[in-house]
Amino acid sequence: MSLVWPLLLSCALFGIGLYGVLARRNAILMLIGVELMLNAVNLNLVAFDAWWGDALRSGQSLTLFMIAVAAAEIGLGLAIVLGLFRATGSADVDLAVVDTDEQADGAR
Amino acid sequence: MNVYAPILVLGIIAAAFAVLSVGIAPFTGPKRYNRAKLDSYECGIEPTPQPAGGGRVSVKYFITAMLFIVFDIEIIFLYPFAVAFDQLGWFGLIEMVIFIGTVFVAYAYVWRRGGLEWD
Amino acid sequence: MTALTGAVLAQNALSAADLPQIGAPAIEYGTLSPVLAITATALIGVLVEAGAPRRARFGLQSAVAIVGILAALAATVWVSIHDLGKVSFEGTDLLARGKTVAEGALVVDGPTVFLWGLLLVFALVSMLMFAERGLEGGLSGFTGQAAVAPGGAGEREATMAGIEHTEIFPLAMFALLGMMVFPASNDLLTMFVALEVLSLPLYLLCGLARRRRLLSQEAAVKYFLLGAFSSAFFLYGIALVYGYSGSFTLAAIDTAVSNQIAGQNLLLAGMALISVGLLFKVSAVPFQAWTPDVYQGAPTAVTAFMAAGTKVAAFGALLRVFFVGFGGAQWDWRPLMMIVAVLTMVVGAVVLIRQTDVKRMLAYSAIAHSGFILTAFAGAYEGSAGTATITSVSAVMFYLAVYGFSTIGAFAIATLVRDGGGEVGHLARWAGLGRESPVLAGVFALFMLSFAGIPLTAGFMGKWTVFSAAWSGYAWPLVVAGVLTSAVAAYFYVRVIVLMFFADPEGDGPTVAVPSVMTSAVIAVTAAVTIVLGIVPGPVLDLAQNAGTFVR
Repeated sequence: MSLVWPLLLSCALFGIGLYGVLARRNAILMLIGVELMLNAVNLNLVAFDAWWGDALRSGQSLTLFMIAVAAAEIGLGLAIVLGLFRATGSADVDLAVVDTDEQADGAR
Repeated sequence: MNVYAPILVLGIIAAAFAVLSVGIAPFTGPKRYNRAKLDSYECGIEPTPQPAGGGRVSVKYFITAMLFIVFDIEIIFLYPFAVAFDQLGWFGLIEMVIFIGTVFVAYAYVWRRGGLEWD
Repeated sequence: MTALTGAVLAQNALSAADLPQIGAPAIEYGTLSPVLAITATALIGVLVEAGAPRRARFGLQSAVAIVGILAALAATVWVSIHDLGKVSFEGTDLLARGKTVAEGALVVDGPTVFLWGLLLVFALVSMLMFAERGLEGGLSGFTGQAAVAPGGAGEREATMAGIEHTEIFPLAMFALLGMMVFPASNDLLTMFVALEVLSLPLYLLCGLARRRRLLSQEAAVKYFLLGAFSSAFFLYGIALVYGYSGSFTLAAIDTAVSNQIAGQNLLLAGMALISVGLLFKVSAVPFQAWTPDVYQGAPTAVTAFMAAGTKVAAFGALLRVFFVGFGGAQWDWRPLMMIVAVLTMVVGAVVLIRQTDVKRMLAYSAIAHSGFILTAFAGAYEGSAGTATITSVSAVMFYLAVYGFSTIGAFAIATLVRDGGGEVGHLARWAGLGRESPVLAGVFALFMLSFAGIPLTAGFMGKWTVFSAAWSGYAWPLVVAGVLTSAVAAYFYVRVIVLMFFADPEGDGPTVAVPSVMTSAVIAVTAAVTIVLGIVPGPVLDLAQNAGTFVR
């Protein structure tokens, strides 16, 4: 199979993810866009790895690391978004947040 | 294609076993229904009460799900080790024990701070 | 069935023969001891969090972090003596000293060790700010219970019970670990992992402020989303460069680039995308949008740690990737980096003038300073034998030292100027600070003068070195732009000084909280360094120059 096809697919995936991040205003959906972009990179790496016939399999190694890191990233990201959601009742990133006096004071 | 033939055979055997087990159960098993059996199945726990017409999933799932994902994914680093463990020898084994050890440090934290408690 | 099994075995035997023989790798534990010490510190921190009783945790955690950093500092000194060879202080030494370790995943050379030392000192100073409990009535500046809604009953209960998040220390240690590995990584795989290890804890730390929690959480969300977005670009760049060169190691990429083995399009696209990820971390224009919001929202101690530490780590990595990996293509990237440098300086300095909030002001100042450092980077002067002219690498490292101390000091002072609702952000409320507390205002004025680059402060020496390196690299338009924007920014810094000393206070004026010995020590140390580096920069400059160049 020609190298072009996986690369085109990965390009398209990356573009869809990019569009998702830029067009969506919900933090969770933006996160999904980022994950799509990361997976596009995975596809790209595996394709290049097979194309080079890399004896060290470095492309696939990075893919494994990326899967693990992406899981950590999504766990952390959801926790941060959940914190914002608890405070404001929305995961909309355009929402202008203003601390009320009570919140600004912290609990004294 | 020859290389994949055993995998194909394995797949067929597995599928046949699954279909056979499910297919044979209604004819052979006793039928004694009770309330718990007819309740919706939710990972073996008491079903979480939800408002009529669905509603939001309880946030209690969040921590459990996230912990599962994070610990589950760590397994990924065991695969390369499994492929080359004989060549890596003692070095590989010790490094893997250290790796698992660091994962268990995180586990100890989660456990001690109540991350695994449901309520 | 037996025939089938036989075929499979034969197949397996064949593929096992095809596999490269992977022996056990050689790991130089001694050379890596600073990194390992910080790893151990972070893990011990997590265990303390799991096991120690609540009352004892805060003290124990801060002690663990500080002892760990001191141990790592000692190890760094040992590594510099043991692995770098003898340092001669006669003229500029252009030798690349050091070696690659861990099968070429990391490289411990002069610049690495210098940046490690810098990072550890910055972390040590920042940990003192993290551990400060004198300003919030016996509690730290971090939220007591991150999981409860801001301003709610849960938060009040946590405060009454004196509950604190002591996870901040292990998190900071993990971030420090990433910062140390980032500029030392010799391949793009390690660099990516280090980037994430450095970023993820910082995203979380940004959302933990005790006061103005919504602003803090918003900062965390913004930093996280944009950071994840930029690291996706960074990764796509890595994938393309891998496609171009067939390897992640910088040396192999350099060989591929120098031999121009394939079409240049993959390389150019890859370089551009990698630079997006790195320029985001140093907050260069046009990737600077997150900086003011995050610097303002994050707890001030975290902002100080992040401002100094991330900048050191990211510039170290930027220099290593572009000088070692893409050195052969420098005529492709240098023009672009020059444009980025000018834009960063101009936007930083011009928008700085309009700022009314102290932390946002320091954020734009950080952007402008990134621009100044980028001038030396874009100059890409690698030195020539027999001359004592400062190289780009040394200039950047010296500037990072200068900038880091001044910025940590400035943020430390920002934690002390308070009113009933916590830190006073608005600059107008800082009017008359000179009458309230002449010493504090004087020290802040010193940092402002250093940022402006007035002679006899460290900032002047820093600017002089980066502009000199840029000049040697024939990037004179950058030097002109740098001097002009310095003048514009200086106007603002001087205005802050005038405001503090000669303006009438608004209402009651700000009050200056009396900190514990920790924040006082931070301010004293950073102020002393700022003065000393301005008057006798020699030793540190020698150290930066003798760090030599990158090992390839």
